[in-house]
Amino acid sequence: MLLLLAACSLSEVEDTGPPEHLHLLTPREQLIRVSVDLRGVHPTEADLLRIEQDPALYADFVDRYLQDPRFLDRASVILNTRMLTRTGTLPFEPGELGIDLTQAEAAAHANEEPLALARHIISNDLPWSEIVLADYTMADPVTAALWDIERESDSPDWTVGHYRDDRPHAGILSMTTVWTRYPSAGVNQNRHRANAVSMMLLCDDYLGRPVSFSRTQIDALTSGDPEDVIAQTPACQNCHSSLDPLASHFYGFWWDQADDARPELQVLYRPEDEPLWQDGSGLAPAWQGRPTMDLVELAEGLATERRFAQCAVQTFWEGLTQRELQDADWTEISAHEQAFLDSDMNIRALVRSIVLSPEYRAAGTSDAELIQRLVTVKTVQPDQLSSIITDTTGYHWTFDGADGLKRGDLQVLGGGIDSQDVAAPSHDPSVARVFIQERLAQSAAYHVARHDLDAERTEPTILLHHVDASTRPEDTEAFEAQIRSLYLEATGIPLGPKAPEVALLTTLWRELWSVQEDPVDAWSGVISVVLRDPRILMY
Amino acid sequence: MTPTRRRWMQGAAALWAAATLGETVRARPARAANNRGERKFLFLFAGGGWDATPLDPKFAADGFSPVDGTDMDPDTVRGELGNLSWSSGADRPAMDLFFSRWINRTALIRGVNVHSAGHSSGRQWMMTGSSASSLADWPTLLAAYAAQEYPMPHVVFSGPAFGGNQGASLVRGGGGTLLRLMDGSIVGESDTPAPVVPTPSDAMADALVYERALAFADSREGLGQRRAEDLLASLDRAEELEGRRFEAGLDSGGGDFLDQCLMATELMRLGLSRCGMVGIPGGWDTHGGNQNVGPQMDTLFDALDQLMTHLATTPGRDAEWLIDEVTVVATSELGRTPMFNGAMGRDHWPYTSMLALGSGIRGNHVCGATDDRFIALPVDLSTGQPADSGETLGTEHVGAALLKLGGLDPEVHRPGIPALDGLLR
Repeated sequence: MLLLLAACSLSEVEDTGPPEHLHLLTPREQLIRVSVDLRGVHPTEADLLRIEQDPALYADFVDRYLQDPRFLDRASVILNTRMLTRTGTLPFEPGELGIDLTQAEAAAHANEEPLALARHIISNDLPWSEIVLADYTMADPVTAALWDIERESDSPDWTVGHYRDDRPHAGILSMTTVWTRYPSAGVNQNRHRANAVSMMLLCDDYLGRPVSFSRTQIDALTSGDPEDVIAQTPACQNCHSSLDPLASHFYGFWWDQADDARPELQVLYRPEDEPLWQDGSGLAPAWQGRPTMDLVELAEGLATERRFAQCAVQTFWEGLTQRELQDADWTEISAHEQAFLDSDMNIRALVRSIVLSPEYRAAGTSDAELIQRLVTVKTVQPDQLSSIITDTTGYHWTFDGADGLKRGDLQVLGGGIDSQDVAAPSHDPSVARVFIQERLAQSAAYHVARHDLDAERTEPTILLHHVDASTRPEDTEAFEAQIRSLYLEATGIPLGPKAPEVALLTTLWRELWSVQEDPVDAWSGVISVVLRDPRILMY
Repeated sequence: MTPTRRRWMQGAAALWAAATLGETVRARPARAANNRGERKFLFLFAGGGWDATPLDPKFAADGFSPVDGTDMDPDTVRGELGNLSWSSGADRPAMDLFFSRWINRTALIRGVNVHSAGHSSGRQWMMTGSSASSLADWPTLLAAYAAQEYPMPHVVFSGPAFGGNQGASLVRGGGGTLLRLMDGSIVGESDTPAPVVPTPSDAMADALVYERALAFADSREGLGQRRAEDLLASLDRAEELEGRRFEAGLDSGGGDFLDQCLMATELMRLGLSRCGMVGIPGGWDTHGGNQNVGPQMDTLFDALDQLMTHLATTPGRDAEWLIDEVTVVATSELGRTPMFNGAMGRDHWPYTSMLALGSGIRGNHVCGATDDRFIALPVDLSTGQPADSGETLGTEHVGAALLKLGGLDPEVHRPGIPALDGLLR
């Protein structure tokens, strides 16, 4: 696949320049943007120099980045905005299932089950339809123990596995992780789950449709059996005629929460309960009016629905462009949809199509209508900020062993989601984001300064390549080289020849030195300013 | 870009130039908040969709017998004072106490159509008056289009937030984490702690970062430039907050509902915020049984009573008392079915009730109405009273009234939507 993608890459970029109304970022900025989006880190300076010399290499870099393992992490973050399974919680304590882990520890594994399947699909260049057609699930040792999954190998990593109960396997439609994330109140007859499937796979939220009932219809709802009224009221049937047959597929996972919330009931599939739809809506399992036997046939119907492919396109397009799809965007997005379909729903091909587009690489436009929608500056999500700083400085901001920017509160404050209360990322700068970058920068800067100025250090320097603990500002050449180097390594953008930053940061160094005459303090302060640069937060 | 923000940037640019010439880095001069005279808004939100019958009780004329069409909680009777009524019971004595004390400051809004029977869409409709996700919610709009600048325009301690296109005005509280970020203590809490940069270098560093952001903004265009300018505004707000966190008592804030309400109003009193959002605790999604609604209402109204007491006894920024400057709105994303389901719970219902208190609110007043089956009756929006010739009261009409109360023109932000003027004093 890599060769195939590479073979057609150069011609696309060289032959089709951007439309007249768009002007692109500089080649250096384009490479930074796509690297941050696909790998969560800045490119090396060597690569930035290469693209400056030959901008046509952009597509080659894209192909390389798409094969980078870090792309799978970024794709998972984007996909989780649709699946919302990374809640950090489970509906019960693992101890109730005999697993000696805290809920947070167990959730960190189990929450990943659907995303692990997505990673498996992407890394093996399988069609995206595998997300519902897979006749297996994915499990790591903890998830396998929690959900009683038999794994195909003893690897400590995620591997293919199968549930030991008698459930049909149909990708995420069969996953206990999904149905504990989206439970169904007994009286609601799996409709919440049906809507979750619609939202995750078709980008269609039934509950987003305005409800308008006549007084007579509401009278009917309040006076009779709700299931009878739903079945007989045309206004209700607008949604329920398709929602209820979808919901009827999930009775194998159904249990009445109000009666019994034992964990073992929540994690088991019960084939004998499949016909319970007859006591609920009374509508047999079906998809788009065609009767279906089980989850596998439902999956086949979903995978061939046009909205299924469109939803994947929308998810990645929105995740990579930080734009919310509007009707006017369908012309732009249709090219990506075509690339996706032409590649047999290959996610890498889809992403490639998006990031090669001139709109993605644009710095601005003269189109008065498009300028209202085109995002010309993007803001890093918390996971990107974390990986950029780690890649630049070697510093990892952890709390109790977990990545600080993947914790619920810091993640949300930084514009990310917690997959429950906050389900959509924010791309706007905020006071909280400013503080997060500042505190992370201070921590990382101290780590770098202490490491690099340690006379007994045996490892190479991280960022302070031109100075040591004895260097003073009087060595103007060393200070200038160091400050320029810091900006280049941290932001990927070199300072101009007369940039005031050199003099200003030297002055800052002197001020900091004057407090305790400690070079670690002085360089910590200087480096932290560089790591707080807007070019790290925005790209 | 607002004129105010541009002024800040120009000031900073002058400093940058001076610093460059003299090779001396100085902190930008502190910018005193000058946001007097604006009404502030505290939103309280019961996630899950609350049972609206406690605020819109359905009893027969005797005050305790049931009516056809709506089940009331067992052992409840009509509580009534002035024009207001509620469901009173032994499990919710704080409701009686609250209304007896604050009737003249309280309006009930009934029969509000949330246009949805789903949690997330109902939440969006309630808070934005629309299903379009590009639209900011009422507090964000009020904060973003305030006449004055606030360091933390809209603070979400908990509960929903729809930033729409004005997300930069929205500050998520994040429990105590925001405070630990603000004072820098979080730097010492990580697995590999670091010391906080000593002052006064912190201010110098801020100035340098600001100038880099200013240069970056100047080099961008379109939405990118707006986003970069929002970063500048956020840097400014962060700097002011760092300087005023002790004054605001931000270092000692507790975490429960009342603590968060009080902190929100304190931020308003100091001119640090215009709006706040606090989630009302409790399990309001009562499909499986309605038995906790009474005790949860009791807890809520006890907290509201203490909040109103605080507002009424705390000197305001402009007015004599804070209660004349702060409007409090308590609401939820849905109502619940008037009849109990098989589990003695209630399912989702598109009509709900709201509570509005404090500054600018017509007290001892009820807007909107529902019939015995809990279906909204048309109302005259100018009075809030039922009128056959009126229209069904929607979340958008209430929101438009709040915008009006906050000095915004509803026609600009929600064109064609008339305001529920009857709510306003």
